Amino acid sequence: MKIKLPTGVPEATGEVADPGSPEPIEPVIPPPVTAEPAAGEPTPAVVGQVLPMYFVGDESHSMAGEPIAAVNQGLIDLRDEVAKHPLIGKKVRFGIITFAESAQTRLELSELSEDLVLPTLSPRGRGTSYASALEALRHTIPADVALLKGNGYQVHRPSVFFLSDGLPTEKADKWQARLAELKDPEFRERPNILAFGVGEADPEVIGRLASSPRYGFMMTSGASTAGAIAEFAASMLNSMVASAERLDRGDHTIEFEKPEGFVQLDAPLV
Amino acid sequence: MTAAGRAASVRRRVRLARGPVTIGEPAAVIEARLASGEPYRPDTVADGGEAFGLTVRAASVRGLSKRYTGGPRQDDICLRLHADSGTLVAAVADGVSGASRSDLGAALAVRYATAAVARQLDDRCASVDWGPVFEHAAWALVEEHRRASGDASAGVDEAGRSLATTLLVAAVRGSDVQVAAVGDSPAFVLAGKEYDSVVGSPPESADGLVGGGVESLPRFGGADAVQAARRQLDRGSVLLLCTDGLALPLAGGTGEVGLALARELARPPDVVDFARLLDFSRSTYDDDRSLIAVWGPGLS
Repeated sequence: MKIKLPTGVPEATGEVADPGSPEPIEPVIPPPVTAEPAAGEPTPAVVGQVLPMYFVGDESHSMAGEPIAAVNQGLIDLRDEVAKHPLIGKKVRFGIITFAESAQTRLELSELSEDLVLPTLSPRGRGTSYASALEALRHTIPADVALLKGNGYQVHRPSVFFLSDGLPTEKADKWQARLAELKDPEFRERPNILAFGVGEADPEVIGRLASSPRYGFMMTSGASTAGAIAEFAASMLNSMVASAERLDRGDHTIEFEKPEGFVQLDAPLV
Repeated sequence: MTAAGRAASVRRRVRLARGPVTIGEPAAVIEARLASGEPYRPDTVADGGEAFGLTVRAASVRGLSKRYTGGPRQDDICLRLHADSGTLVAAVADGVSGASRSDLGAALAVRYATAAVARQLDDRCASVDWGPVFEHAAWALVEEHRRASGDASAGVDEAGRSLATTLLVAAVRGSDVQVAAVGDSPAFVLAGKEYDSVVGSPPESADGLVGGGVESLPRFGGADAVQAARRQLDRGSVLLLCTDGLALPLAGGTGEVGLALARELARPPDVVDFARLLDFSRSTYDDDRSLIAVWGPGLS
């Protein structure tokens, strides 16, 4: 599948670490799209079923070095493993959104084939804007679902894997307002959100992000951040495989097991 | 006939049509692994025949996903005849994949439910009282869980974690069809190319996305939670009872799968051909599939 990069994002360099930091690009956010076909439009013939999954990753400077390298390696392993699987590659669509002081779509929702060129994430910018990441999801998800449906796919509820190593650098009410929009029960395509905190992330904040208390995970104190990220990536892969294998059951819940080196924030913290 | 001609005709007789029936883009070809575990769960079951003027075909096939991992088929089917009333009782069940022994749950549910219907027919009931049928099947799951776990006080929640299953049951006497469901295993009446939904929740939720949680036995809301309907099976129409492994790609019957099924089920296929049809290959659809098709009286 051909991948369209957003304007201004450098062409991905595959698996070689990108030495330079791309300039932060403000995403051009289109108005939210409804996933319903316009009145009078014929419903396209059903050709298949898909599960959209998004990785939303922190690209702030504190991720520099081993942590960001662990993210990049985890994404490569994920692509390779899913591409090797004879059944689930066709059922999963994977997208990557990163955030620092702004959010960027680094991989539009794509089939994970072995020749898929992945972006190489690298630290950029000064801030950690959760609001921009959440806003990007709120706009991207309905547009992606509408596109998939327009192409004849039956779409399962999307899932988001959110990874951060720090605190949001904007005011709490700003990111919390964006989070409320994303979780709004009136938002038909609201995703399942699994949130993972490593490094300096705040367990309370991570717990809030998760769409269910059992979907919030915090790195065990004293563990290596890069090691925890590697475990996170392996769990994201396992979740993708398990969820796609059981797709027809059509459950709202996503299959997920706690990664090694994390504690589950399964009690409401706020 | 010459010797060469005889040899050719022998060769033709033993030639098999290899490979799956394909509808649209085929799924990947994989080497199926045998399912291990107790009780024995064959990959495919197929049945069919005539009774009381009705013609029935039934099959349950393991999905590619479980063939790939070596998991057991978690769907099941059951046919039962009630001779005194001239009724065919049929059931399909789809074990919930999150439950550890849901293959057994499905197998128990279809057997206990059809037996419960037969007992009501013994009592000459004109209409099936569906609440007790589903409660009886649900209780069988709780009893099995208690037996296997050794926990005599276990309830529906504990039993649900290991044996949860959907259940769809029909009683067909002549052209009179009574059908009821808990969960998303649907029933349709197929007339020509039209699929008329009878019971079972649609695959898409109100949010326009697939899924939305599944009601299942043994925990269900009692008689009020049973979706029940009664229909006349007109000449030339077919009652279809299936699991979501078929209902999802069928997508209401308007696409390629619906057209293929309507064409092939215009008349009853041979039993094995019916199972082969149900086992069609179509990219991204790899769940277990079960289908019971009943043609009414007067099939010429």
